[in-house]
Amino acid sequence: MFCPQCGASNADTNVVCTQCGRQLQIGVPPGIQPGVTPAPLPVTGVVLPPGTTVPNYLVFAILSTVFCCLPAGIPAIVFAAQVNGKLQAGDVAGAQAASNNAKMWCWISFGVGLAGIGVWILLAMIGVVSGLHNQ
Amino acid sequence: MENILIQPVRRPDLVAALFVLAGCGLLLLRLFDPATSGVFPPCPLHYFTGLYCPGCGSLRAMHQLLHGNLRDAWALNPMAVLLLPFVAYGLTSEALLQLRGRGLPHLFLPAVWIRALGVAIVLFGIARNLPVHPFDLLAPGALLPL
Repeated sequence: MFCPQCGASNADTNVVCTQCGRQLQIGVPPGIQPGVTPAPLPVTGVVLPPGTTVPNYLVFAILSTVFCCLPAGIPAIVFAAQVNGKLQAGDVAGAQAASNNAKMWCWISFGVGLAGIGVWILLAMIGVVSGLHNQ
Repeated sequence: MENILIQPVRRPDLVAALFVLAGCGLLLLRLFDPATSGVFPPCPLHYFTGLYCPGCGSLRAMHQLLHGNLRDAWALNPMAVLLLPFVAYGLTSEALLQLRGRGLPHLFLPAVWIRALGVAIVLFGIARNLPVHPFDLLAPGALLPL
């Protein structure tokens, strides 16, 4: 099977493209023993439309953890890892759930950061005002 | 199946607005040094507890980078300097995706790598608080010549 995004050749059993990570199909999760015959699962080989993916928000998680000083970015990184882990295992629904969690933690991080800046400006203004008052 | 697929919603107007905001922020960051001016808020964790978090020094490091001082930036927060290219790539890709519907080539990181990165960030945050050599060198600015 050829990846619809980057054109790389992949084994037909691959769930994500080895080249670019695009999902190729919803298949049988790996780990099924070859000797044991599992219940026949309909392998539909759904090819996701181009431009679709399950975002892991890792960039925003790192941005909030290392560039904004916010510990809420750590759970965002954990969920970002879960997104890619579940994609690797072929669990798109699970990846989507983890993706939603990663997104939520990024927003919490962003909100806390904004609130912090707001409080800082407020304190600075009070400081300036009381400073003027004392003169 | 349709409900779990993410179709990228294209918002060029939002990207443009964020670009202007980020540009203003970087200009402010170039003009004012967070180390000496009171323009930028301090890290709340450090302000209240005196502890360094993994991000402490990243704003000062960005200020130094905007002035081309890679060495000073490295001394202030090596983790931020290391991760900056990755973040820049991701943000550029996201912006292009919104503007023209296609981002940069997608880097798929195995989950193990992302977990390792998370652990590295947490360990870095702990290590830079240890008053033991050589970990104390990881504290923001410890490597700076005074």
